[in-house]
Amino acid sequence: MDTLTPVLNEDETVRRRADVFFQEQLDVYARRTDRMFAWLMGIQWLAGVVAALWISPRAWEGQYSHTHIHVWAALFLGGTISGFPILLALTRPGSVLTRHVIAVGQMLSCGLLIHLTGGRIETHFQYFGALAFLAFYRDWRVLLTASAVAGADHLLRGLYWPQSIFGVLVADWWRWLEHVGWVVFEDIFLVLAIRQNLSEIRGVAERQAKLETFNESIERTVNERTSELRSVHQQLLEASRRSGMAEIATNVLHNVGNVLNSVNISSSLIADGVRKSRASDLAGAVLLMKEHKNDLGTFITLDSRGQHLTAHLAQLSEHLMAEQMAAANELASLRQNIDHIKEIVAMQQNYATFGGVKEIVNVLDLVKDGMRMHEAGLQRHSVDVVRDFAEVPPVNIEKHKVLQILVNLLSNAKHACQESARADKRVTIRVVKTDDKVRILVIDNGVGIAPENLTRIFNYGFTTRKGGHGFGLHSGALAAKEIGGSLTVQSDGPGQGASFTLELPQPTKEKSHA
Amino acid sequence: MPWLLTTIWLTAVGAGLHVLWVYEHTPGSAASVPGRWPGDSRIPRAPGRPTLIMFAHPRCPCTRASIGELAVLMTHCQNQVKASVVFFQPNGSSQDWPHTDLWRSAAAIPGVTVRSDQDGVEAKCFQATTSGYVVLYDALGKLVFSGGITSSRGHAGDNVGRSELTQWLHHETAPASETPVFGCSLLDPTRGCNKKETAWTR
Repeated sequence: MDTLTPVLNEDETVRRRADVFFQEQLDVYARRTDRMFAWLMGIQWLAGVVAALWISPRAWEGQYSHTHIHVWAALFLGGTISGFPILLALTRPGSVLTRHVIAVGQMLSCGLLIHLTGGRIETHFQYFGALAFLAFYRDWRVLLTASAVAGADHLLRGLYWPQSIFGVLVADWWRWLEHVGWVVFEDIFLVLAIRQNLSEIRGVAERQAKLETFNESIERTVNERTSELRSVHQQLLEASRRSGMAEIATNVLHNVGNVLNSVNISSSLIADGVRKSRASDLAGAVLLMKEHKNDLGTFITLDSRGQHLTAHLAQLSEHLMAEQMAAANELASLRQNIDHIKEIVAMQQNYATFGGVKEIVNVLDLVKDGMRMHEAGLQRHSVDVVRDFAEVPPVNIEKHKVLQILVNLLSNAKHACQESARADKRVTIRVVKTDDKVRILVIDNGVGIAPENLTRIFNYGFTTRKGGHGFGLHSGALAAKEIGGSLTVQSDGPGQGASFTLELPQPTKEKSHA
Repeated sequence: MPWLLTTIWLTAVGAGLHVLWVYEHTPGSAASVPGRWPGDSRIPRAPGRPTLIMFAHPRCPCTRASIGELAVLMTHCQNQVKASVVFFQPNGSSQDWPHTDLWRSAAAIPGVTVRSDQDGVEAKCFQATTSGYVVLYDALGKLVFSGGITSSRGHAGDNVGRSELTQWLHHETAPASETPVFGCSLLDPTRGCNKKETAWTR
């Protein structure tokens, strides 16, 4: 029983909607027919006036004449007959009263026109034409009203002035029925046509209602599916966000890893320096001097060991100073690398929260920072670094993104040279200015890139390097796009090196001032 | 409110139709018709045949229906009667004054002759006062029928006058009768009837 209830409700809904459509369509027809009759009756009125002026303009009495009563009748009576129905058609279109008044007015207009044309049998046909026009209402009651007017006219005149309608003084009582019979004859066909037409309109209304219900059902389903899709989309967004976070985390780790290499090298160098420090030699000299504290002057001037001690201390001092300098440099590099790790982490936090903050950056400083991070690595692998810097204006960008890209490009260039067998390993960093851009080119003469890989090299996960993640260039290209620039590659093939171009947008003057 | 207006409208239309109805069904004035063919008439009577005369105003629009009914009558009785249509012509009017479409319509009816009646002399002989007035005299000059052959003013269609004429001409048995005549007056208006009227001038 529960399963049947919705079906019954839907049928009932369809039936009710069909009723509404049906009535709306009838109302449209009624209003349209009202308008048609407003025009028709206006035209009939004018036609009546013209007919009166043409057929019977003047009545005569001997040699004198005056305006024929037909003219006045056409003008005023015709105007009255047509005026009120026209008024109703214009002010109350679609009303039941309007169409019945129009039916009465139309039949009276026919009668008046018959009078004005001298009772011509041809004019009587207007009655039948008028009935056909009235059938446009698709309302058999209107035909009934119109036919009743014609019937009443014939009945009354048949009873009281039979000669005016039947041409004889004494007519059989049923003669009016014969005349009205022809009207009824037409009415039968018109009513049948109306019924058929109404049936068709009803059918259309039912189909429209079913279609509407079907459409609503589809719309409901679409809404449900859309809601589901929204939910899935939200889940995908969440997954994507997580994936993005993971991607960023990978990138961060990658960059942190790169910097940690330098950190590791710096700390190793410092450790080696400390381990190999000649500070112990200073302890031996001090011990020797303690042993001769009582005759230290004699020992330095007369003893051969004492005489060497002074030179040894001078040499040791120089050596320790050099060690101190080297350690200080490595510590500075270490601090810079650690600072860069902090920046990378801060950048990751920036990614994870809101969009990056742009700032006016000196491109050359940025490039130098990037190179500094790889300085030790490049030296270790005997890679010459060529600097070719032109004067370029500052740019308004997220500097950590650019730094991230540069670090990655330099790392790749170092690896390309490292894997190359050639002796003259070289990485060139060129900074140039074009009309509205600043370009940073990282050019190596390493292993190069096969042509078929040039189009794939920025794809996520694509790498030709053992131990590579295939993420650096992908994220670099995305980051370049995000800052309004681009990252492109050019290579003449394997063994021919490669050239990566990072294009940065040059700020406008307004932006620069800002 | 719409129903009240509808009632007022129906009343106004009914009153207008009534006025029109009264006008169209008010016959012209009737006079005593000579029982025998008047001797001072200059219209020739057909020897050995009935003679029918219709008096008409050449410019009366109502008479168009009477001419039409005469055409129907002559279609049925063409060789049984000598028919004439006498058109009124006022004194001093041009010769063309009566030559209207009615004249041409009447002249086009087979067996019908048309003539003008200067100042209505012939109409006075036959006591005809209304356009469309028809008289029928038998072969001996005795009045058989007088009156109109339309059922109302200017209204074509079957009517008692034409029906009786047809019957008499076919059987010569029906009694003489008189029917009302509907049409314009052949005579000048009487006192009080010609306010704002226009002379026929042409």
